[in-house]
Amino acid sequence: MSLDYLTALIAAVLFAAAPLILAALGETISERAGVINLSLDGTVLFAAMVAFAAARATDNPWLGLAAGGLAGAGIAAVLGVFGLLLGASELAVGFVLTLFCRELAYFMGHGQARQPGPDLGALNLPFLSDLPLFGPAIFRQSPVVLLSLVAVGLVWFFLMRTRAGLVVRAVGEAPAAAVARGLAVTRTQFLCCLAGGALGGLAGGLYSLSVKPGWGHPQGCEGAGWIALAIVIFGGWKPVRVALGALFFAAIQVAGIALQDVLPGLSGTLFQIAPFPVMILTLLVVNLRRSAAFREAARRVPLLGRLVPRTAGGAPGAIVGALDKGF
Amino acid sequence: MDVVLSQIVKRFGPLAANDDVTMRFAPGTIHGLLGENGAGKSTLMRVLCGVLAPDGGEVVVNGRACPGLTPEGAGALGIGMLSQDPLDFPPLPVWENFALGGGPVLSRSQAKARLAAVCARMGFVLPPDAPVSRLTVAERQQLELARLFDRDVRLLILDEPTTGISPAQKEALFGVLRAFVADGERVVALVTHKLAEAKELCDTVSVLRQGRLVGSFAAPLSTTAILGAMFGAEAACAVGAVPPRPAPVVGGEALLRVTDAVIADEKIVLQPLSVAIRPGEIVGLAGISGGGQEAFLRGLAGIAPVVAGSLAVAGRELAGKPATRFLNAAVHYLPASRLEEGLFPGLTLLDHVRLAFPERRAEARAIFAERCVGRFRLTNLPEAKAARLSGGNQQRLLLSLVPDDTRLLLADNPTRGLDAASIAQIWDHFRERAAAGAAVVFFSEDLDELLAHAGRVLVFFNRALVADLKAGIFDAACVGDLMTGRTVPGQAVA
Amino acid sequence: MTGRTSSLARAGFSLALALCVTLAIVAAAGAPPLTTLAVMLDGGLGSGQAVLRTLSALVPLLLCGAALCVTFAANLWNIGVEGQITLGAVCCVWFLRDLGLAGLVPPFLAVPGALAASMVGGAAWALLSGVLRTHGRVHEIFSGLGLNFVAMGVSLWLILGPWKRPGMASMSGTEPLPAALWLPALGGRPMSLWGLILAVAAFVLVAWVLNRTFFGLTLSAVRQNAMAAERLGLRPKRRMLAAMALGGALAGLAGGVLVAGLYHRLIPSISGNYGYTAIMAVLLASGSLRFLPLACLFFAVLTVGSIQLPLALSLDSSLAGVVQGVLVLTLFAARRLWPAGNTGSTGGTRNRGSAA
Repeated sequence: MSLDYLTALIAAVLFAAAPLILAALGETISERAGVINLSLDGTVLFAAMVAFAAARATDNPWLGLAAGGLAGAGIAAVLGVFGLLLGASELAVGFVLTLFCRELAYFMGHGQARQPGPDLGALNLPFLSDLPLFGPAIFRQSPVVLLSLVAVGLVWFFLMRTRAGLVVRAVGEAPAAAVARGLAVTRTQFLCCLAGGALGGLAGGLYSLSVKPGWGHPQGCEGAGWIALAIVIFGGWKPVRVALGALFFAAIQVAGIALQDVLPGLSGTLFQIAPFPVMILTLLVVNLRRSAAFREAARRVPLLGRLVPRTAGGAPGAIVGALDKGF
Repeated sequence: MDVVLSQIVKRFGPLAANDDVTMRFAPGTIHGLLGENGAGKSTLMRVLCGVLAPDGGEVVVNGRACPGLTPEGAGALGIGMLSQDPLDFPPLPVWENFALGGGPVLSRSQAKARLAAVCARMGFVLPPDAPVSRLTVAERQQLELARLFDRDVRLLILDEPTTGISPAQKEALFGVLRAFVADGERVVALVTHKLAEAKELCDTVSVLRQGRLVGSFAAPLSTTAILGAMFGAEAACAVGAVPPRPAPVVGGEALLRVTDAVIADEKIVLQPLSVAIRPGEIVGLAGISGGGQEAFLRGLAGIAPVVAGSLAVAGRELAGKPATRFLNAAVHYLPASRLEEGLFPGLTLLDHVRLAFPERRAEARAIFAERCVGRFRLTNLPEAKAARLSGGNQQRLLLSLVPDDTRLLLADNPTRGLDAASIAQIWDHFRERAAAGAAVVFFSEDLDELLAHAGRVLVFFNRALVADLKAGIFDAACVGDLMTGRTVPGQAVA
Repeated sequence: MTGRTSSLARAGFSLALALCVTLAIVAAAGAPPLTTLAVMLDGGLGSGQAVLRTLSALVPLLLCGAALCVTFAANLWNIGVEGQITLGAVCCVWFLRDLGLAGLVPPFLAVPGALAASMVGGAAWALLSGVLRTHGRVHEIFSGLGLNFVAMGVSLWLILGPWKRPGMASMSGTEPLPAALWLPALGGRPMSLWGLILAVAAFVLVAWVLNRTFFGLTLSAVRQNAMAAERLGLRPKRRMLAAMALGGALAGLAGGVLVAGLYHRLIPSISGNYGYTAIMAVLLASGSLRFLPLACLFFAVLTVGSIQLPLALSLDSSLAGVVQGVLVLTLFAARRLWPAGNTGSTGGTRNRGSAA
């Protein structure tokens, strides 16, 4: 395997991971504040359509991307109004929104289908892009990769190192305690929900303006939001691990495409669906690893002990068991 | 600081939790607020710190009325509350909990410096980087106190602060409180249902019953007068009577035999332990939070798996078997959070009977009349939803669903949050069960109650069974020391 | 009867609001709003043929709605209905192709056998998600959704691979089955009366099981409090799996009816969004069996009517889904703004910390 091929592979993985990273980071912020935004998949799809349409209308892909972010925040606002202000079940509303946004995207985007439009182009930063291996993969490629990597750092810094981030985590861990300490719980949750939705919207923009350019029925990013939701669990609600999880799934997609060249007999559709069984399997492994039964087995078989998560980790207190409550 | 609650009224639907309550917290005093569970003490204190808005009356601080008090507003006035279950953020480290003090959020360096300063002043030892979930209940209380002291709280409210801590820790806490009011300016409001604590610590006492203020007393406090106010004159002697202590059971075949068993609960895994319990025994489990007594109880019930060793009921090996096998062996468990773990909120009482006795579900009405109403004096209609039951009636329903042929009855905090009549009924019932040949194993956070009703006490500390004490050779101080690890057991183990 | 009037008022409010929002969306998409709605209604109810098409869309919706009622009764989000329909259809085609066509089963048993096979297929697919939930702690939303995509992949692979038409693989589906292996149609029209009978029977069966049997009572016990059910020895995991299997069988039957009664072959995405539409219908009826048939019928009209949109007005047919989503959301809003008697199950899911 030549160095060039390896560089190309890294570039492809980073490229495919960029929107997944943004969407999963958005959901991480939202869930860290205690709001499960199940509308993520619809948000990504709808924002992809809005971003593409806006980019065509203004002939500026960056304005399109911003419009995508706004669209995502708008959908999150609907969820916030229903879930936080009206007190409806977040899960039910989120799920309805995800189906609704998908249909809305195809309905409103009918005129955009299979039309040419602008995209985000490619970076070529001097010096940096000459670094070995990662230079070309990050700096001589679509700006979305750089964008997503910067976002990981920013979100990590915000959540773990700022006072506002501390408030977010406190609100998500124990809303009752946060109220008692005079923190504005609902406002914090609403803002985090909006921020998470905006990141999901940006992810949609990255798809239609760069990673899977254009609009069509079906758009290539269908299901990406669900993968991102699973990645958040996979990453234990920690921004950096969540980003690594996104890279892992992107690597699977890229491997599928690479294998397609090697094994042309296998149908392309099988590779398209490959991330979904992998998603189920990773959730299975992650959840079993956290179970008491596994810890006990690890106590007896030292080799397994290395696989036991060191920290209790787990979901923010406010959303523990939320999925089991039904609607 | 001088705080007056003036004619406070707080209603929840038709129920008046506080009805025209007026009381004064004078500077430099420790003021006790006594009353049974459900008397309205906690509600009144939540009004005082702005969490609940009163339906009538006002809070007057230093002569000025404070309408529309919010938690932030109360905090700004210097009112702070230490609630019964620590209101903190368990996975976050100590310094982050401290940084979220209630005012502006502190930066990391600020928080650590001020935490160290407060701890040095009060004599607390709190590791700043440890997650709060690793602390004991007493340490979590100290962290809350440190946070409140740092904010220069003038009126400190404590809601049942001695639940779940040992007598020695209680003494330390009381010392801190006495020092707190020593300047003659600050005030402590102590909410409790234990008269002994109030007598030990308080300068003045107010007694609430069914939402109304029924008496105010100043030191020296008279036991009979306060009891009369708490329970009503006629009930006082009945409540005051000491229940007959069950005699220790000796000899006979063991009903439950646990041998080198390792019980693995969701959160903690216990050290291997061995114990035998005979029919007719009432065994109390003592321990502080994290000691492992709840896990032990859940292990006996088959909820937490026994992953090594043996656990046999009446000679039948049950280690590693599913919970249904424990039920078949006539082992039944009463959970501490009754509505959350034991009942179906939206189903009727009759449906509960059907589900508990499926093979006799055609006669559910007869069973309901005979067991629930006849034997346990449940006053609700069979069509009522379980969510509408009071705490006492929830426990009555749960008890009536436990079949008569139960041989091992396990109860986690069976009287938590109940009124005196229900509590007396539950202990009577446990004694009846034991007399009929069943064994009862229970855990209570209230050490006094535990020692009053247990014929034998198993003490847990740090995930291990450290002592097995027969009736007559234990007292609160010795059990308290054992369960906080202050004395190492040796000769005490029978 | 304040309960009834308030629920009528809520329904009226949400319908009116949903209508306004829909018209605004249609106008924003640059289409004539009123004409669009007229085209949709005409396409769903305008002629005898249209009504028959609507009824044939009602069949899978009713079956899936009944399936979802069973799983919701056990507090399971059976999002995998789409995949269960697909697997049901795959099993039905397999039975008809490989056993029916080959003459391995007597002709009069071919179609009933195929429907039974489709139920087994759907139940197996649902059990997969159920076992992942009860024994693997993977939430059924994720497993169901993932398995939907997997089922789609399986059906595509069969259509393009092993079951491709002689000579050429085509996205138009597998070779049509001979008419002897169809569910008898109603006078040669694209509608099978047997399908409707099966759907209604399944619906009545589910209503009876949930409301009148001990099994139904245990399911609601599991929904209310799985931990308490465990304490009483009701074996909640087994009940959940049973609910999943029953739901999956009904969804699989929907797939079987789609094959044997309508398409007579396997086509890509044969589930045709019926699973998701049924979830919307169940949410619209807020889990009540009484209103579910009405909700299903309404959504069937919308779904069938919207098929005319691309031809008549060159709009995307997904408008049906848009209307459904808006309607469910406005109903949620109405229910929270004017809470009435029986909203307990939907109520605020968690204590937001105020005055705990």
